[in-house]
Amino acid sequence: MGLCGGGHVPYDLLMWRTAGRNPVLAGRCRRVTRMPKLNRDDWLDLARKLDWDYSYVREEDAFPEAVSGRPWLSHAEWQDWDETYRTTYAEYVATQSAKDATVQAVREAVGHAEDFGKLDRSWLNVLKMHAATMTFTEFAAVTGNLRAARFGRDGAWRSAATFGALDEVRHTHIPLLLMHELLPWEPQFDWTHRLFHTNNWLAIAARHLVDEMVVGTDPIEFAIATNVVLETGFTNLQFIGLSAMSHEVGDRMFETMVTSIQTDEARHAQIGHPVLATLIRHDRERAQYLIDKWFWRSWSFFAVITGFSMDYLTPLAHRRSSFKEFMQEWIVDQFQRTLTAFGLERPWYWDGFIEELDVYHHMLYASTYTYRASVWFDFALPGPEERAWLRAKYPRTWDLLEPVWERIIERWRKCGPGMEWYTQGGTPMAFCDLCQLVLSHGTPLENAARVIEHEGQKYVFCSEPCAWIFSREPERYAHHKGVVKRMLAGEAPANLVELTRKYFELTPEVWGKDVRHGKYPWLWSEGQGEEV
Amino acid sequence: MLVPLYGFLAGDTLGLLVLVHGEDRVGAIADRLQMAASVRVAPRVRAQVYVRGRRLDSNLTVTQAGLAPLDRVDVVPEEAEWHLSP
Repeated sequence: MGLCGGGHVPYDLLMWRTAGRNPVLAGRCRRVTRMPKLNRDDWLDLARKLDWDYSYVREEDAFPEAVSGRPWLSHAEWQDWDETYRTTYAEYVATQSAKDATVQAVREAVGHAEDFGKLDRSWLNVLKMHAATMTFTEFAAVTGNLRAARFGRDGAWRSAATFGALDEVRHTHIPLLLMHELLPWEPQFDWTHRLFHTNNWLAIAARHLVDEMVVGTDPIEFAIATNVVLETGFTNLQFIGLSAMSHEVGDRMFETMVTSIQTDEARHAQIGHPVLATLIRHDRERAQYLIDKWFWRSWSFFAVITGFSMDYLTPLAHRRSSFKEFMQEWIVDQFQRTLTAFGLERPWYWDGFIEELDVYHHMLYASTYTYRASVWFDFALPGPEERAWLRAKYPRTWDLLEPVWERIIERWRKCGPGMEWYTQGGTPMAFCDLCQLVLSHGTPLENAARVIEHEGQKYVFCSEPCAWIFSREPERYAHHKGVVKRMLAGEAPANLVELTRKYFELTPEVWGKDVRHGKYPWLWSEGQGEEV
Repeated sequence: MLVPLYGFLAGDTLGLLVLVHGEDRVGAIADRLQMAASVRVAPRVRAQVYVRGRRLDSNLTVTQAGLAPLDRVDVVPEEAEWHLSP
């Protein structure tokens, strides 16, 4: 066996290092405690970057392409793989322990129901939405990291992925722990655990994204999709943008949670760039495709969870930037720098994506506000001041959206506060056969959805990039059944109320409502709808 | 025969599933979609139905108009001046 790590460490030395922390072993190993201690860098790579030449199997058998990723390359092509953190297990445990102690301290101080009760009720829906979509995404990412921990093509990559898997376990447990305490106070927090076990349409969309991105991908695609696109790109919206907003709102618990998680993400995200660099050297076209595909899929989903949070659910007084401004600073600029550094092109749909920053999440929010009973969190109705702010932030498109809100407001005024159903749709929404989100790309003037035929079957896509992704890998997506196809096959009720209750598994106490049930002071003349 | 269609009303923010029958008039598509979207877009008295940029005769039946399940249809209120690409 030819070791390619940092050399061979004597057994006595290992015993000596262990004995220092174990009184029983210390008694048995007195002789070796006199040995000199190696410098960290003299032994680290034996544990961290251990690879060897195989004598009894072929390398292709130990790392089959199907699970290791394509293009298949010999280890010689990966042996320079490295990342800058170079963490030891002891360092990892010590650091994580300290971080958990901080989270626990903040939890004890401000993590109880009465603390959350002091927060703005609109903001609480940012928590409900994030806790539900984040928790099982993180849990699924354990699998993705563990696959890389076994089938990553270099020892250092596998070590970093092992820590990544441990990180993701932590990121699953923290929101489950924090939100569990809020259950007796607010049953919608139950969806922190429940969402991914339901057929709710947003759960289907989330699973469709997450199952492919972190569970169904090989370590190379996982590294591009998760480490490069998501963790060094879109999660900046959560960890920097929303963290700052939670500070403004006074939500110390959420701020601490996402900040603590971010420190882990910053480390294991380092896996992505060296994988991308090797992939570009050997298959540039695939590298570009994976970037283009995962950037679009991430954008579509983050427009929901972050777009809603930043431009609608954060109280106006606490907003510092719009979703578009955050996107421009933390995604557009940074991502273009990354692409330039790697010599890659911007995704082919880039100009359309930039235009969408002005409108897509607004289309989604207006749509789901009027189908709010189909999800597990509540929605805020933007009042005159909020809409003036949105008009100032989105001058190019807001005139197209204002009539929709005027109509919804007109309906509220007609029915009176508390009549939730009069401001909600009664006809099933249609969903994209790729991303499984509602068909809200484009503008109110011209919806970007398109229907295409593939092997005799019709598929509807919310956008040109979603149709393009399908056309590149139809064998991966063609058999997926969205909500509409499930309805047409008799697997889900076509009646919207039945669909909501029986298929989306929402009950009247949990399903989404207007955060004030229409009782906004600005909506009513005196005496009609008092503040609650 | 039931014909489910993907319906898009000009001025609206999302696509909806519209269920019509083969013997229904094309005009019924416009009525049904406007009603379904009325929470967001006020219905107009007259609206036209388009498929792939081609305007359909409101008096034709769904079958006569050649509409098949899961086709995309666009409904454009006459009073509005919306732009539709083919």
